[in-house]
Amino acid sequence: MDMPNDVFVEMECFQLCHDGENVCGDDFLFERIENENRHLAVLSDGLGSGIKANLLACMTTTMALEFVRSNMDVLLSAEIIMDTLPVCEVRKISYATFSIFDLQIGGKSRIIEMDNPPFIHLRNGKDLKVSRQSMVSERWPDRRVNLAEIYAISGDRLIAFSDGVTQAGLGQAPNKFGWRREGALEFIQRKVEEEPEISARDLSQAVVMEARRHNKNCACIDDISCMVIYLRRPRRLRLLTGPPFRADSDAAYADLVRNFDGKVILSGGTTANIVSRELGRKIDMDMKLVMKAGSLPPPARMEGVDLVTEGILTLTEVAQRLEADPPLTTPVPLAAQEMISLFRASDEIEFVVGTKVNEAHQDPSLPVDLEIRRNIVRRLKTVLENKYRKRVLLRFF
Amino acid sequence: MSEPCKMKVEICLGTTCYVLGSFRLSALEEQLPPELADRVEVAGAACLGLCKDRNYGKAPFVRINGNRVVDNATIEKVLDALKEELEKCNE
Ligand code: FES
Repeated sequence: MDMPNDVFVEMECFQLCHDGENVCGDDFLFERIENENRHLAVLSDGLGSGIKANLLACMTTTMALEFVRSNMDVLLSAEIIMDTLPVCEVRKISYATFSIFDLQIGGKSRIIEMDNPPFIHLRNGKDLKVSRQSMVSERWPDRRVNLAEIYAISGDRLIAFSDGVTQAGLGQAPNKFGWRREGALEFIQRKVEEEPEISARDLSQAVVMEARRHNKNCACIDDISCMVIYLRRPRRLRLLTGPPFRADSDAAYADLVRNFDGKVILSGGTTANIVSRELGRKIDMDMKLVMKAGSLPPPARMEGVDLVTEGILTLTEVAQRLEADPPLTTPVPLAAQEMISLFRASDEIEFVVGTKVNEAHQDPSLPVDLEIRRNIVRRLKTVLENKYRKRVLLRFF
Repeated sequence: MSEPCKMKVEICLGTTCYVLGSFRLSALEEQLPPELADRVEVAGAACLGLCKDRNYGKAPFVRINGNRVVDNATIEKVLDALKEELEKCNE
């Protein structure tokens, strides 16, 4: 059985809106309950498109997440959701579909579906047969709730989509009946075969783009969403910043670079110098990059290290970029750009913060906001956890 | 004939030096006069540690041959220092 710490659950959902709408009529929510080793994901498709659909979908995901978290009875949950949704004035029905994933790493997972295309459980390129228990509510006899129980293991992918995927290209040759689940499945299998470690983020995006390609003129005639949950060995990253509290722990500090199974970033000149001296590895800094590096010192290289950057300014810039919503439009300085892409490509990020009190910067009137290292790292931890769903560890040295 | 003198210039790109203008020194290499051009190797460096030391004057700092420090560095100041070093070496 997998040890929970050896499995990272990457959960991503990519969406495109119905043309002409600026909100999506599908909604998704994720939640990670660290201490129970549990991961929750919900995808809902609201009837129609635009703001009304969005409202139905958001209400559904919010309620569903709440109910599943508290282990409420499946049928009762579905009934409450249907009772609560406002009735559409035009169609006189209230309608939203859902797929709910309640994953238990190293244990039994439950998937509850209502009227969404059946999810795919992909293992070694195969769509595993999932047995579903079907339930009907007395009050809503025409709605069917399906419950599946599975054991998900490392390497598995669970994939759910809205009917914007399965019905893509509907009515047009060669897919008179749309792309259908089989079409999407074949595409996914091919994609995974080409790129066995494809991330949930890339795969969900690929499925949605391919679905749109099936529509006439690549139009979005429906909201299109694809959710991918990928269980895998965590891709680890360790970032060292700041000199250690005690000078006699420099060697131990540098060992954190030498002995690490994953990617490494050194952020800070003194940090890089310590590691360089202890490990006898040169820092390569290309002066020619300065002009291309934007508003930050350029990234540097060291053998066995994936990125070397300046410290405070770069970390602050990265925090601002990650937090900004909508994203800042100014060009991203090179060092920040490289750090952000390493963060995004990792599941588990460990910050090791050296706590030696820095001698005061020489010029107190520096034209930048020189926040204390610790605070910036805390900010990074918050945004990486909440907005990018990373597992973040913080260690002071 | 003896070996021609080679010199190494390190431009500090640490936080303090960068903020106080060391990035402007990146044009140094292109501005080397012919007598220096093929003798000088220019590289960036992480914080040289000088900004934390009161004995060294003001950032930005440039270090020549690992021992001579130019503080409050500008391209002109670095070029002057390099010419001096070259003379010393030719003596
Ligand atoms: S930043 Fe240049 S010497 Fe410290």
